[in-house]
Amino acid sequence: MNKTRLSICMMALAACAVALPVMAHHSGAMFDATREVTLTGTVKEFQYTNPHSWLLVDVKGNDGKVTTWGFEAEGPSTLTRAGIRRSDFVAGTPITIKGNPHRDGRPAATWASATRLSDKKEFNPRAGFAVR
Amino acid sequence: MAMLRKRTFWVGVLAVLAAAVGLRFTLAQSDLPDWVAKGEDWPARKQQLQAYGERFKTSDELYQHLRDAAGGGKPLTWSQMGEPAYDWSGVYTRTGGGLEFDADLAGRPAAKDFFEQVANGKATLATAQLTPAGQKVVQAKAKQLASTGGEYDPISDCRPPGVPRWLTEPFLHEYVVTPNQTWLMNEMVNDVRRVYTDGREHTLVEDAYPSWNGDTIGFWHQGVLVTHTRYLMHGQYQRGLQPDYSEQTTVVERWHKVDERTLQSDVWVYDPVNLKAPWYTRQSWTRLSNDDKSLRLRYWDCRENVNNLIDKKDDGTSEFKPFDFEKPSTGQGK
Repeated sequence: MNKTRLSICMMALAACAVALPVMAHHSGAMFDATREVTLTGTVKEFQYTNPHSWLLVDVKGNDGKVTTWGFEAEGPSTLTRAGIRRSDFVAGTPITIKGNPHRDGRPAATWASATRLSDKKEFNPRAGFAVR
Repeated sequence: MAMLRKRTFWVGVLAVLAAAVGLRFTLAQSDLPDWVAKGEDWPARKQQLQAYGERFKTSDELYQHLRDAAGGGKPLTWSQMGEPAYDWSGVYTRTGGGLEFDADLAGRPAAKDFFEQVANGKATLATAQLTPAGQKVVQAKAKQLASTGGEYDPISDCRPPGVPRWLTEPFLHEYVVTPNQTWLMNEMVNDVRRVYTDGREHTLVEDAYPSWNGDTIGFWHQGVLVTHTRYLMHGQYQRGLQPDYSEQTTVVERWHKVDERTLQSDVWVYDPVNLKAPWYTRQSWTRLSNDDKSLRLRYWDCRENVNNLIDKKDDGTSEFKPFDFEKPSTGQGK
């Protein structure tokens, strides 16, 4: 379960196109929209905060070393609109999560989608922007 | 006899004055723009509303014209608060438009070659008629985006967006109508605009100072709230290629509940520094489904979580301050 799968894929997006998510209070340009990172690990903490929430995930590397990654999403109200509650990701929850990584190599990324491995349920924060 | 002539004279004067006032009211009322839905003829209707704003040199003149047309407006009473036109309760969000001030421009290309075209003056915003100074600002932004791919947004430190940018913010909104004030609330940074509808005028210019949301007065007429805002701080309409606005910016808005789930506002922005002509846009908000009442506006501050702190880099782009993924966020109450 804790086996780490790390794959960083170059995305064949339109040349130089910028397809960053709407960020509440800052430009999203520090994330690389042309790359995607997919990680499997366990939730360390769900920081359900404004203006952005952070899902902290402990990821074990091939060398056995654990790195805490942070995945940034919108704040609580947008997550609520996406059906993502704080209780969905209690500490220790195994997940696979993907997003656009930080450009400078720090272990951080946007949170594009996450799958809770216990029930295969998918959580997409950006769905919270749907007007319904 | 002299007394009679004097009385006749004054009656005549009063009659002429009354006729003039009546004529002004009638003329003003006869050319009021209709409320129209965004149907197939929206581009033409939008052009009419743009032209309507351009008839007036200043927002003060437009506001006065609308006020004349409304006969000065009619104060609301508490007994009216239950009427559908004034019941703006619920949780709303911007209907669409992304991060464009003119929602009709949503989906514009955000690619390097487009930024370069704008930087070189070969492409421009479709609906804002910019002065050379305003154009220069947009071109500088385009150059920044073309060369670095990034930018720094002043609200990255959780300062308010300010009006008119306020209208574009995409998060939760609530509205409270009372006879004397209407509150327009944006979840982001706990931002409240107060519209005074009790008949007061603006703060005297000698006592005024610029602020994020300025000084807003308004009046009601047949379910429409007309507002006038001045004494604003300078800012930008949004990130990306949006223009800036100056402290000379003033705004007229016509707010209206068009159906059970939709609030709309026709907005004319006047800014002699950046705009050659007023910039007309239609803004819209949709009441969200909230059957389980889980949507609530909560306090909003960057300092809730150290991982949300942002710096401006030397190249004009943004960067996170050092992350701390070890310490629990203060937002979790630990």
